[in-house]
Amino acid sequence: MPFVNPKESPATEHDERKRLRDCASLELQLTDPSPAARRWAAKDLANCPGATSALVAQLQNEPERSVRAVILTSLTELGDDEAIAGMVACLRSEDAAIRNEAIETMKLLPNQVSPIMANLLDDPDPDVRIFTVNILESLRSQNVEEWLKTVILHDDHVNVCAAAVDLLGEVATSASREALQGLKERFPDEPFIAFAADVALKRIDTP
Amino acid sequence: MAEISISQEEFLKFREFFYRKTGIQFEDSKRYFVDKRLLERIMETDSGSFRNYFIMLRFETTGDELQTLTNLMTVNETYFFREEYQFKCLVNSILPEILGGKKGSGPIRIWSVPSSSGEEAYSIAMYLLEYWPEIHHCDVEIISSDIDTRIISQAKRGHYSARSIVNLPKELLYKYFRYHDGGYQICDDLRQAVAFTKVNLMKPTDVRGYRDFDVIFCRNLLIYFDDLSRRHAADTFYDALNPGGFLCLGHSESMSRISSLYQVRKFSDAVVYHKTKETK
Repeated sequence: MPFVNPKESPATEHDERKRLRDCASLELQLTDPSPAARRWAAKDLANCPGATSALVAQLQNEPERSVRAVILTSLTELGDDEAIAGMVACLRSEDAAIRNEAIETMKLLPNQVSPIMANLLDDPDPDVRIFTVNILESLRSQNVEEWLKTVILHDDHVNVCAAAVDLLGEVATSASREALQGLKERFPDEPFIAFAADVALKRIDTP
Repeated sequence: MAEISISQEEFLKFREFFYRKTGIQFEDSKRYFVDKRLLERIMETDSGSFRNYFIMLRFETTGDELQTLTNLMTVNETYFFREEYQFKCLVNSILPEILGGKKGSGPIRIWSVPSSSGEEAYSIAMYLLEYWPEIHHCDVEIISSDIDTRIISQAKRGHYSARSIVNLPKELLYKYFRYHDGGYQICDDLRQAVAFTKVNLMKPTDVRGYRDFDVIFCRNLLIYFDDLSRRHAADTFYDALNPGGFLCLGHSESMSRISSLYQVRKFSDAVVYHKTKETK
């Protein structure tokens, strides 16, 4: 038969991991010219509790998407305040891919990001506030409705409110009724806002 | 002797421990399933209580008890030619593309994980022999791995019940199996076509050597993982694939919410995930 049986050893002959694996060496390898070496260093640094700073620093400058993905997975595993701050910094990136990767990663850390949600919803940058609403989408926190209500009651930026009311269409209860009515009045010239608010109100009224 | 029981707190403690070791997450609804197996091992090891058993499990140096427990906790249910459309996609679209871009004379490498009792890996081998004429012009390696050592032994034996072969065309059953000992014994040629290995996808030292694959089948495993473990698995497969390689998931699974590293490829038979050639 034309099948080749590699027996018990599926590994290929060459081994690209002939570098030192202690935490300090791994941090240095984060800037290695080889993306594969950087990816492996980032992966192994998940077991180095002090490695968050190095990972965050590399995340900001890392051009290779596959390396960023592993850095974010390792930061998720480390999950400390600095890791979260690093992800928040990515929300301000000019690179849409980095922003989206950070949003998806923060969704995996509901317990760690919930405490900073209120602050992020108060951020001066409306884009950051929109991304924060995107993160709320999958937080499954009891506070989500309350946070969204605060946005539609007080945020001046129509796109932030549009993102929030869109999500309220899925999670709103009667507690949001007045805020939704008020939103339509705050943005009388925005047909999408009126449409989305009505969808959310209809959902509340549908048992 | 007093009846041994497992409290909610102990269940949560075990669940967290088992998740860290294996990536397998048990929902609350699985409580009965988990308790039943834990109690079985507590009795079997004469531990007398969950506490004693858990201490032994955490601090044993060999890892033998954890392996025994893992074997009990994993679900191994599959059959030949399950989700056959992906095998069609393999021979009609994936392998022609891989062969077209292959440099050098190295074999085409296929990784099937989890192996369970071997039905998927043997199905791939049969499918290639039956429906892919190019098999006679190139070498193929099929490696199949599982976390459960007991099921790997079963896969290597290649002896199956009527339930496993229910979807298999009769002509292939007659060609590759013989009725033996109340079941169906796969032929030695196919048994030798697949290498079965033990792998814990969550353990970097286990997966480190798995490289240079052209196709990975990982079907109906990620549904048992939580989000973070799924990301780990996606990263592991990415490292294991050659640029230009393909990842096939189960019909209810999608990579799009797990990782953005893969490009979705819609072929006429199936949707699969592609590690593009431009990746490094």
